[in-house]
Amino acid sequence: MKIISKEDFADFVNALIADGSWNVVGVKSKRDKFAFGPLESANELRLDYDVTLLPPKKYFFPQRETLFTYDLSNGFSAKGFTAEAKPIIIIGVHPYDIVALLHMDEIFSETKSDPYYFEKRNSSIIIGVNIQKMSKWCFAPFMGCATIEYGYDLMLTDLGNRYTINIGSQKGEELLEKYAKNVTNALARDVMLVGQKKREIVNMSQQKFDFPPELIPELLSKSYEKSGFWEKHSEKCLACGSCVLVCPTCYCFDIKDNPDLSLERGERVRTWDGCLLEDFAKIASGENFRPTKPTRYRHRYFKKGKYLFDRFGFISCVGCGRCSSNCLPDIANPVSLFNDMYHQIRDKEMLIAAATTPEVKIETEGNIDYVPRLATIVKKVPMTASEILFEIRLNDGSELGHKPGQFVEISVFGIGEAPISLSSPPTKKGTFELCVRKVGNVTTKLHTLNVGDMVGVRGPFGNGFDTEFLKGKDLLFIAGGLGIAPLRSLFNYVLDNRKNYGRVILLYGCKEPRELLFGDELLALTNRDDVKFKPTVNWCPENEVWTGNIGVITTLIPQVDFDPEKTYAIVCGPPIMYKFVIADLKGKKVPDDHIILSLERRMKCGVGKCGHCQINQIYVCKDGPVFNYSKIKGVPEAL
Amino acid sequence: MKPKVAFFDFAGCEGDQLQVANLEEELLTLLGQVEVVSFREVMKEHSNNYDIAFIEGSCTRLQDEDRLKQIRKNAKIVVAIGSCATIGGINCIRNYKDLDEVRKTVYGENAKLFDTYAARPVDAVIPVDAYVHGCPIDRDEFLQVVKSLLLGKKPDIPSYPVCVECKKNENVCAFERGQYCVGTVTRAGCNSCCVNEGTICWGCRGLVDNPNENSHKEVLIKYGLTVDDAIGKFRLYFGWQEGKK
Repeated sequence: MKIISKEDFADFVNALIADGSWNVVGVKSKRDKFAFGPLESANELRLDYDVTLLPPKKYFFPQRETLFTYDLSNGFSAKGFTAEAKPIIIIGVHPYDIVALLHMDEIFSETKSDPYYFEKRNSSIIIGVNIQKMSKWCFAPFMGCATIEYGYDLMLTDLGNRYTINIGSQKGEELLEKYAKNVTNALARDVMLVGQKKREIVNMSQQKFDFPPELIPELLSKSYEKSGFWEKHSEKCLACGSCVLVCPTCYCFDIKDNPDLSLERGERVRTWDGCLLEDFAKIASGENFRPTKPTRYRHRYFKKGKYLFDRFGFISCVGCGRCSSNCLPDIANPVSLFNDMYHQIRDKEMLIAAATTPEVKIETEGNIDYVPRLATIVKKVPMTASEILFEIRLNDGSELGHKPGQFVEISVFGIGEAPISLSSPPTKKGTFELCVRKVGNVTTKLHTLNVGDMVGVRGPFGNGFDTEFLKGKDLLFIAGGLGIAPLRSLFNYVLDNRKNYGRVILLYGCKEPRELLFGDELLALTNRDDVKFKPTVNWCPENEVWTGNIGVITTLIPQVDFDPEKTYAIVCGPPIMYKFVIADLKGKKVPDDHIILSLERRMKCGVGKCGHCQINQIYVCKDGPVFNYSKIKGVPEAL
Repeated sequence: MKPKVAFFDFAGCEGDQLQVANLEEELLTLLGQVEVVSFREVMKEHSNNYDIAFIEGSCTRLQDEDRLKQIRKNAKIVVAIGSCATIGGINCIRNYKDLDEVRKTVYGENAKLFDTYAARPVDAVIPVDAYVHGCPIDRDEFLQVVKSLLLGKKPDIPSYPVCVECKKNENVCAFERGQYCVGTVTRAGCNSCCVNEGTICWGCRGLVDNPNENSHKEVLIKYGLTVDDAIGKFRLYFGWQEGKK
């Protein structure tokens, strides 16, 4: 531990500013509140603050960030992120915010590492300060985040006329050596004083947990369906998103295009988003997968206290109290909510006995690339009034290399990105096919593009169907409406490798004959004796001809014979369809783990980060979109 | 062929068209993308041959409806600009009063000569394709909407309240400053411009799709506003949306 007088510390800060090679920011006053901001002089620093309006994550994951710029005027060019000119030094970070940054580090490196975040984070220097005043909402001591022994480069403790400095890294030590004067070793007295301060800090909170917060994950898992609980707590919710926007561990985001007035140049940006906002889980067709206030409100607590705990092994709350202090109707205080939840549990001993530590497996494989690969439309086949089949080739001549059931993020520059399932099997070389329904901005624009026009492609994303596992099995495909698009990829793959699979049945239903997709291709199946194909329509208008079955998709299930023990049902359709199809399959004695579903959600980033496609703890974009029914039947938001 | 654009005004202050006229350099760039055929505030010429009609102001008389319907017939895309056109705006304050009284207050003895009815937004009369909210409109948002229309994209108008932008901008909450704000129920998209400048959100962009008005009124009262004052806050811009028709 080192010691520096306050005058010398001010000189140190001023020297950092004067040096010019750093972006020096620190805590400053803003009206009667505090905020991290650029420092012009050490005099502006307010290290005696209680809490800042926003946490320092804004420097690594800014409110708005350009992912890349594009220019269509001369062919196409895209420029990804460029390194910040100067590394940042953040002065005055409280321990709970340091813990939050460590959480963010893990989150942003899971699966694929986020270069936009780490480019800024890795070069940063964090100068922490121990809490001197605690906001009345802060409960960091309960979360074990009121003091910290790591995660900083330097850590200050105010001892009146001087600071003690804990050195947390070599970078911190070098900084001190180069820019600070009169730094001496701390005396035993100072070491003792710091210890005393830290013990005081731990008792500073005005909030009170009635139980050990370590029980939160288990408590939550007992409270998901608690009757009236979430309704009562969220009744006054204004859906303003304040609680999540000020949170140091929230990281949901949206991705948007921002063309300039030339319309040929522009940028793709990512902006903060929040799961408390009404449209967060809404897809282009208008379906909202988390449509009510109580469900959105509940999701926030579960994400923090259960889903991220199961994934990373930490409760994603550091107790800063910002959510509580920013909620006008005063319903966002986690302490009050969890206490209420705890008191409603009758058997409290059980809770303690049941609490477990999750097995955490974090894997990182390369960086996320938000810049799409350029591709050209080589064929455009209108299929119905609202669907077009696009055949697309990557401009660099490479194969997309997808598995059946995966999807791509397709870009129309200036409009944005949309997730579209691959319709062609991987056995089709050179190009891939997307069956696109005109439903949102991107797909509407896509429909106006022609052969030769260029689009962007990211992916393939998702798990896809396990074609190896399905080998030798009987397959019962059940597709409703546009659900045929992803299933066709697997179906055609199976046909291309016909001898590897058992019996193959395809049941396909749509609203009316004119909405039948891949009509010619599917009707040709009736000539094959190694495939059974049965289509149905919900109704047939008088002026149309239809000789097949009339009725919803489930009316076909009793019409086909299959051995439920040998058969795997592969189901994809509109959200409403699953419930009924699954019930009928179970009626036919198909075991749960023989039902395989492909689910639709708002996949935005494709790499399990942005949060839009989340169903409870599952990210559809990376854990799905293909799921074994036995694995998700207990996931309440799934079906 | 550049799309032809026309501007029209009804009951309003013409402040929104002034915002467009004040685009300065960007207006010139914009003119590279569109051809303005009618814009009373900046040019003498007028043509009824246009693709996009921008309409400012509320509809306050039965006669105005014919003109609106004619614009709808001529235009492929109708855009309401400014609060008076998008949500009825402050004109709708008068909907809470007796309309004969209102006429007498404004026109005195000649009140009979001037017809009127409850003020209303453009979409109460004709279908509207896009909205540029605000009082006045924000120039950048106007350009965003124009760019979207030119690209064939539905303009991206937030469904969330102004609080989202206040938080991102790290504003000290108006309530924390002892003031009363309706940003919690007001549609965002203005980048919380008023609160950024240290005042409050007045609600000029109208209510969000599903406002929790009861909760918000409770908040206003909890922070010390009287019930009447809280209702007054909602009447300034939300009259039509609150059902005062």
